[in-house]
Amino acid sequence: MLKRFLMALVALVLAGPVMAQSGPLRLTITDGVIEPLPFAVPGFQAENTEAAQVASDITRLVAADLSGTGLFREIPASVFISAHSSFTQTVAYADWRAINAQALITGAVMVAGNQLVVKFRLYDVFSGSEMGGGLQFAGTVDGWRRMAHKVADAAYSRITGEGGYFDSRVVFVSETGPKNERQKRLAIMDYDGANVQFLTDSTALVLAPRFSPTGDRVLYTSFVSGFPRINLLDVATVGTRQLQTADGEMAFSPRFSRDGSQVIYSVSNGGNTDIYRGDIASGASTRLTSAPSIETAPSLSPDGTQIVFESDRSGTQQLYIMSANGGDARRISFGDGRYGTPVWSPRGDLVAFTKQNAGRFHIGVMRTDGSEERLLTASFLDESPTWSPNGRVIMFMRETQGAGGTSSLYSVDISGRNLKPVTLPNGASDPSWGPLQP
Amino acid sequence: MRSYGTYISGIGHVGLVGWLILGWGFNAEPLPFEVSEVSVVSSEEFAAIVAATTPQPDVAEPTAPVVPVIDDTPPPARLDTPPAAVEPPPAVPAPDQETPPPAPPEPPTSPADVADTAPVEPTPPAVEPTPALTQSTRPRPRPAPRIAPEAVAPPPPDADIADVLQDAVVPDESAVADMVEPAQEATAPEEAATEIVTEAEEPSGAVASSVRPAARPNRPAPAQQTAQEDDNAVAEALAAALAGEAVEPDLPAGPPLTGSEREGFRVAVNRCWNVDPGSQAARVTVTVAFELDQSGRVQGDVRQVAATGGDASATGIAFQAARRAILRCGASGYDLPVDKYDQWRAVEITFDPSGMRMR
Repeated sequence: MLKRFLMALVALVLAGPVMAQSGPLRLTITDGVIEPLPFAVPGFQAENTEAAQVASDITRLVAADLSGTGLFREIPASVFISAHSSFTQTVAYADWRAINAQALITGAVMVAGNQLVVKFRLYDVFSGSEMGGGLQFAGTVDGWRRMAHKVADAAYSRITGEGGYFDSRVVFVSETGPKNERQKRLAIMDYDGANVQFLTDSTALVLAPRFSPTGDRVLYTSFVSGFPRINLLDVATVGTRQLQTADGEMAFSPRFSRDGSQVIYSVSNGGNTDIYRGDIASGASTRLTSAPSIETAPSLSPDGTQIVFESDRSGTQQLYIMSANGGDARRISFGDGRYGTPVWSPRGDLVAFTKQNAGRFHIGVMRTDGSEERLLTASFLDESPTWSPNGRVIMFMRETQGAGGTSSLYSVDISGRNLKPVTLPNGASDPSWGPLQP
Repeated sequence: MRSYGTYISGIGHVGLVGWLILGWGFNAEPLPFEVSEVSVVSSEEFAAIVAATTPQPDVAEPTAPVVPVIDDTPPPARLDTPPAAVEPPPAVPAPDQETPPPAPPEPPTSPADVADTAPVEPTPPAVEPTPALTQSTRPRPRPAPRIAPEAVAPPPPDADIADVLQDAVVPDESAVADMVEPAQEATAPEEAATEIVTEAEEPSGAVASSVRPAARPNRPAPAQQTAQEDDNAVAEALAAALAGEAVEPDLPAGPPLTGSEREGFRVAVNRCWNVDPGSQAARVTVTVAFELDQSGRVQGDVRQVAATGGDASATGIAFQAARRAILRCGASGYDLPVDKYDQWRAVEITFDPSGMRMR
């Protein structure tokens, strides 16, 4: 018995120093840094001589896509230690760590006739492993931009955990001519302003185009009859037809429902504007609001159950949310100034809006309960926000002051960073960001 | 004047004290007391005891390790699916200023897996494990130290050293007596070489480097303890305690980290914690755990312990950001006091981005 006691005593004495550390060292970190993630993209390997130029072009576009988000920073090739010239070459992680590259993108391009094949891999340098498997895209040579966008989308998605938005298009109103005689046409472009193509001529005023959820159709307001009416345009054929709407002097501000089969829009009669929902196929419409005030700019929530809209029922223009079937609405904006053109985020957590206050226009976001309002921009005139497919970026129209002022498109990250213009040959307004292309 | 009571009381007290002092008031019988002899063993004796009780790895039959086949050449980019044949898009007419052209659909692209596996960094060839030596190779005898103009081969083992070489002669009993040669011992010149051969020119065969010790063997199953083993265990434990040895002498415990040491560690990690305030992950608080070696480098991988505030996707991104921060800033080892290693060999860090969210 005494032996056991002595052993226990000895063990206790010896274990004393060890038991002084009762568990792991615990720390809490609340302050990090906000900086772009450095990545390296060695030139994609051209697997045959015909692919040399397009391989270089794709490499540059992938890097531009990622750098353009403001979330990534490309490490220039001049500081590369390792020349990753082959797609099948093993990665010398130490060389990439030495230049602080956190992500490495490698790729290969092959051209056979008009066919183009692009392969890529993404590596997490500091963990020394590949992020996801390799991917390959095939298409035609003249579609190389789309394949570069898809590579960038895949890399972006794997690193951030969010969907990409590079392989998407934007429909907008292209503007030419002086302010007092401006000609407007519907146009479509890649998200970065490339490949602009016109969808309508300039014989009639057009406003507020809206992409369908699948990106194959566009709703817009046309003044071809002298009064605003809602038209439906097929993107592939550019065929257009006027949509049957509820009776009224004006029908405008249309948006698709999430399944694309219905449209919510506004109808104005005698100074009163209300929101309606109509079936595209049958033309049957249902009135959703009946207040003697102006209710317009409806936007459906991603699940299709609620509508956010603007109304002046309180005396000033504010934002409200109601059921998709109409009924009581609750006000969500309470700040100073006027709020308009609300757009529900694809993520469902935020509403983007235009705010006019103290002679300035702002693009802002708030949570759907009206909390955490943040203004992302400020200028003489900012309006018409539209969300990127992943809900991360907002594109909007900015107009400069004066008789010679021009309209152009800008984009901004929802963090308020990375405000930058979209390069276009002409003026532009009313952007509507379409979905990721299949 | 004192009363009789005072005298009686004093006598009574003196008597009681005397009775107690003389022992009648206490139980003289000692309590049962077990005496064990504790022998203080010397360090040599203790080492001998430990060596005798420590299970030795079975070196007689070393298990043949499976040497992985290393393919130095990266795998070819095997395509699981052939490139999708995609129809070229309709020709895109130049934008007409007045007539809307048909919007050309972009050529569809089809993602496909490229290959099963990425080219991996070639693993260094597995070192053929050297079998544990049961005994060292007996060194070969050094070349003869004698230097002579001509090299002389080593003499036969039973030959005496002499200047001349002569064979041993054994008396032949069958021979005629007068023909018998006298018996003589075999002799041979001493072994000699023409030059001195040093060990550097001819390795002695001694073990050049020690074999890396094998992994620590599993703890032996507790055996049935006997009284003698108990004595030994107590003696060993006491000897270790007296020698001031800790249970794990390689793990200095040291006092707890000071506030500045903790803060330095925290700052070292947070300068690599890149937070994207626009991400869903910015709403996730994640706790990760990892181990450090004595040089402050991360051992093994970083593990997620807990997470709150987001869905699985957001949690995954938050964890990756935390993991990346720990690995990046710890690539060359965190600057932590080695003498307090036991205080920081296991670490749990909670990354809480609540202060960095968009407001």
